[in-house]
Amino acid sequence: MTWTCDLIEARLSDYLEGLLQGPERAEFETHANSCTDCAPLLASVRSLVGEMHAMEELEAPPRLVYAILDKTLGPRETVTGWEAFLNLVRGLATPKFAYSVASVMATLIIILGASGFSLRKPKLADLRPAAIYQNADRQAHLVFARSVKYVSDLRVVYEIQSRLRQDENNLQTAPEELLPKSSPEKNPGQTDQQKPSQPRQQNRANQLTRQLEMLAVELPMLGERSGR
Amino acid sequence: MRRHSRRIYNICYRFTGNRTEAEDLSQDVFLRVYRTLGSYRSAHGGFATWATSVTRNLLIDHYRRTKRDRITDSLDDKMPIVENKESAGRRPDEQALLGELSMQVQSALTRLSPELREAVILRDLQQLEYAEIQTVLAVPEGTVKSRINRGRIELARILQQMGVGPA
Repeated sequence: MTWTCDLIEARLSDYLEGLLQGPERAEFETHANSCTDCAPLLASVRSLVGEMHAMEELEAPPRLVYAILDKTLGPRETVTGWEAFLNLVRGLATPKFAYSVASVMATLIIILGASGFSLRKPKLADLRPAAIYQNADRQAHLVFARSVKYVSDLRVVYEIQSRLRQDENNLQTAPEELLPKSSPEKNPGQTDQQKPSQPRQQNRANQLTRQLEMLAVELPMLGERSGR
Repeated sequence: MRRHSRRIYNICYRFTGNRTEAEDLSQDVFLRVYRTLGSYRSAHGGFATWATSVTRNLLIDHYRRTKRDRITDSLDDKMPIVENKESAGRRPDEQALLGELSMQVQSALTRLSPELREAVILRDLQQLEYAEIQTVLAVPEGTVKSRINRGRIELARILQQMGVGPA
């Protein structure tokens, strides 16, 4: 293809943007660089495109955004003083916010109660970290002890029930064989001497069991006497 | 909205060369967009492309309306506006040179015909792709390339006449 000045001018942007390839590009460059009209034109356009690409985007005036909002959404009323405060309060008076406030208050009350802070007689000393820790520790131990006692009591009841069922089946055997050994007197705080490692609650259960066994033995004899 | 308003403001300013007109036209663009949002369809391209089309249409309407009244604007309106963050890293003399060059290019732009001016602004100042410019101007891609090319050459000749040589 024979490149003329008109053709060079028509394809100038294609060349600058890399759309000409291979022999076409080479022929373009050969003419453009050697032609006294095309060479300065190519240089000036190349420089101009570079300058325009380097031109920075201008900052819009700050008031433009507000002016746009006024034109589209309408002017906003600015409220000051008591009206602004009342608007804020009205905005907070929603069920969602009230529920959140109630939840937060309940949580605070529970936490304060667990930490030992008395709401009836509040003391600033109760809010010390050491006081909170001690109260929380004491509360935790109390809850643990109560739960252990509850479980142990349930166990006692279960054992009594199971023994009673067992004894009903064994009522046919000789009463002398069922007579239990007298249990030694126990002072409060002492554990069973036979099994010193057993906890106090287990000793109490064993004592109750022996008493019930004695009762079960005596019950038939009582029934025979009443029958006569 | 700040991002869109900045871009539309730049297109309006580069086209009109006047800060006040650019602000007014930017507001009109957003008002037109706000009122006709229901007619926007994805077939028109992305929202940015559609907003650019609305901008271009308003600029052409404004140009035709003010054609008879167009006189030389005051020098103040053509002065470079606030510095951008990117310019903070340049030396003062570099910044002054670039600012002067920017003013000269802006002045030369306003001397181009509207068809060539809008094509050069969209391609070289807004960095839009040919396909997007084709959507905005609603002309074939060949016409877009032709206008961009002629606009650049014309702009270079105007700058040469103003005594501004290649850097």
